[in-house]
Amino acid sequence: MKRAAVLGLVIAVALFAASCRPQKAEVAAPPADRHVPYNYAGTQGMVVAAHPLAAQAGLDMLKSGGNAVDAAVATAFALNAAEPFASGIGGGGFMVIHLAASKKTTVVNFREKAPAAAAPAMFRDKGEAQAEWRQERGTAVGVPGMLAGWAYALGKYGTKSLAQAAARAIEIAETGFPVSATFSQINKDEYEKLLKNAGEATSYLNGGIPYEPGDVFKNPELAATLKRIVRDGIDVFYKGDIAPKIVAAVRAKDGIMTLEDLSAYRPVEVDPLQGTYKGYTIFAAPPPAVGGLHIFQLLNVAERWPVKDWGHNSPAYIHHMSEAMRFIFADKEHYDGDPDFVGLPLSRLLAKEYAGLVRDKIRADRTAAAYGFGVFDPVRDKKENTTHVGVVDKDGNIVALTQSINDFFGTGIVPEGTGFLLNDHMADFATDPASPNAPRPNRRPVSNMGPLIMFKDGRPVLTLGSPGGTRIFPSLAQILINIIDFGMPLDAAIEAPRFFSYSVNGKVRDLSVEPRIPEPTLAALKALGHTIALKEPYDKYFGGAQGIMILRDKNKLIGGADSRRDGVGAGY
Amino acid sequence: MKHTHSVLLITLLGLLAISFAAAQTPQAAFEQPLLVTSAGQSSGDAQIALQLAKRAGLAATLSKSGTGKDLENQKTLVLVLGASMKGLGAAGLDSNKEKERVRELVAEAKKKAIPILAMHLGGGARRGELTDEIINEFLPSAKAAIILKSANADGIFSKLCQSKAIPLVEVEKSLDAVEPLKKFFAK
Repeated sequence: MKRAAVLGLVIAVALFAASCRPQKAEVAAPPADRHVPYNYAGTQGMVVAAHPLAAQAGLDMLKSGGNAVDAAVATAFALNAAEPFASGIGGGGFMVIHLAASKKTTVVNFREKAPAAAAPAMFRDKGEAQAEWRQERGTAVGVPGMLAGWAYALGKYGTKSLAQAAARAIEIAETGFPVSATFSQINKDEYEKLLKNAGEATSYLNGGIPYEPGDVFKNPELAATLKRIVRDGIDVFYKGDIAPKIVAAVRAKDGIMTLEDLSAYRPVEVDPLQGTYKGYTIFAAPPPAVGGLHIFQLLNVAERWPVKDWGHNSPAYIHHMSEAMRFIFADKEHYDGDPDFVGLPLSRLLAKEYAGLVRDKIRADRTAAAYGFGVFDPVRDKKENTTHVGVVDKDGNIVALTQSINDFFGTGIVPEGTGFLLNDHMADFATDPASPNAPRPNRRPVSNMGPLIMFKDGRPVLTLGSPGGTRIFPSLAQILINIIDFGMPLDAAIEAPRFFSYSVNGKVRDLSVEPRIPEPTLAALKALGHTIALKEPYDKYFGGAQGIMILRDKNKLIGGADSRRDGVGAGY
Repeated sequence: MKHTHSVLLITLLGLLAISFAAAQTPQAAFEQPLLVTSAGQSSGDAQIALQLAKRAGLAATLSKSGTGKDLENQKTLVLVLGASMKGLGAAGLDSNKEKERVRELVAEAKKKAIPILAMHLGGGARRGELTDEIINEFLPSAKAAIILKSANADGIFSKLCQSKAIPLVEVEKSLDAVEPLKKFFAK
């Protein structure tokens, strides 16, 4: 009798607690199999990010009255604590911001810069060892822009303080969380680098060994660093006590960064790049983030193809798209560079007429013998591995933020006692000293990031972005075509099997595919001349896209988050 | 009274399980020094195996793409099973070339009568078509195996080891493999 009374009381308390929780817009819980497409739903606000704690940090910021920029920065800070292998204050990124009231779309570029001592042949001269110098030595570290970018965006477009934005990140770093299978696998993959550069005692290893799923990861040193930054402002990072620690760590590993490089760093605000596809207008971060540029090129080429008739991931569709990717890679190789220093023929590359010329080179029955870059008249236009966050707030403000420390765990270099990882974004410079993207003093390396916001009839309908290096633009273009041409719901479009190909010096490279694409399709592609490289069924190689669809007529926000990583949505 | 019986029964079963696991770890089956190499270029996993061997007090050398020549003066070959596309790319190998390398290495080990200890330290996340091909092809050549339990959810290791009478040690976490390693190499 006593037991029955206690049980009744417990049930009553549980029911009361449940009734006090905010009502979820969608009743169904995410499926146990994380690869099954699942659309997160909300009506007032939505955050999508690559870790549940980070998405929750953004959602809590929205609920506490913060706008989309506040929430994006809170999410970004939280990712440093919860997904430290992909981004953090030792890196950089690009933030596309749409302000509903003014209908203005703008971009904050906080990409890392090369130190002043960078030289065009600095990596080529290392010969066969250059991969290590580009990715794991001090020379790999670009001057970090992340904090400067977050603070700029928050100061100009946000409503909350740096302390409020960083609060949840500090909490996560202090209290810790059980690591996921994704975290554990990446930790194991990068173990050698971490042992070499961060050492056995680093918090990025668990007693000198990679974390297993379920192990609790804490980072008290990062928490202390973030507290310092909140207390003293970001100058403590660029000019104060933290700066010499960064320089010492970089130079101890044969790097070239100086205190002057750090103190001179500034983010810049620029206009977005604009493209169109089948009646939609898309705004993306402009070069040196070239993801948007190449998404537009690929969509321009695909626009006149009967992709719907060919069928999703049919041999004809994959063949034509792969060939287009290879031609675009020829342009990428030839033209991409920091627009502050090199002229990019943007209007020519983005012209629909140029897309027609590329289409004309693509044969339906075979792969091309060579992939040449577009040749334009000599007058050039005047200067006109990563994680992604998307936020929409109740007022319709939108942020698409892609940020990175490049390879997972960056260089693996942690400035002493700081708990944050330094990027290896110098690896994004070209090897060839004659390339427009060769390392030079104070230049920003070309980035493959492509955070974007898509509009229909002047109204935003989608924000999207992804990590994934050179696979970013092909993956985002495939997701957009999945939605626009094949009518897929957002998360189905994100989870659908992906493919990727490229060219180097005009020569064809493998067609990489997720093996969920059926064998008869792969056989047909082989018959057309493609060499198939099978990846994992849901491979991080193809990125980890996050998106939010804005269904204004239904007063609904739909979040889609990629199961190739630990992506989730959080809406209300 | 009933409760006391249950506790005793659970304790007894627990002791039986521990003694069974201990019995499964053969004594002095392997000798030092040992060469650690990857089968599938999951180089992080191979590095973990090296660290575990060192913590077990063993004289170990890592060669991620070891060949027959690396077996000179070695008395045990530790084959760390697990495919990594990233690792294969970094090593400039495709899956066929990697399997061919491991085939030659295993053949050389057999020729030199060097016993093979198989390890799988990637857990459930390090399973997939290529990893399974590697497990199926190379695990039967092993004299014993140590694996993370989460990789054996479908029983692939249990079935293969049972059919070939290979002692199999399952551990929850990588660090738990240090003790079985000590026992395998105990004099």
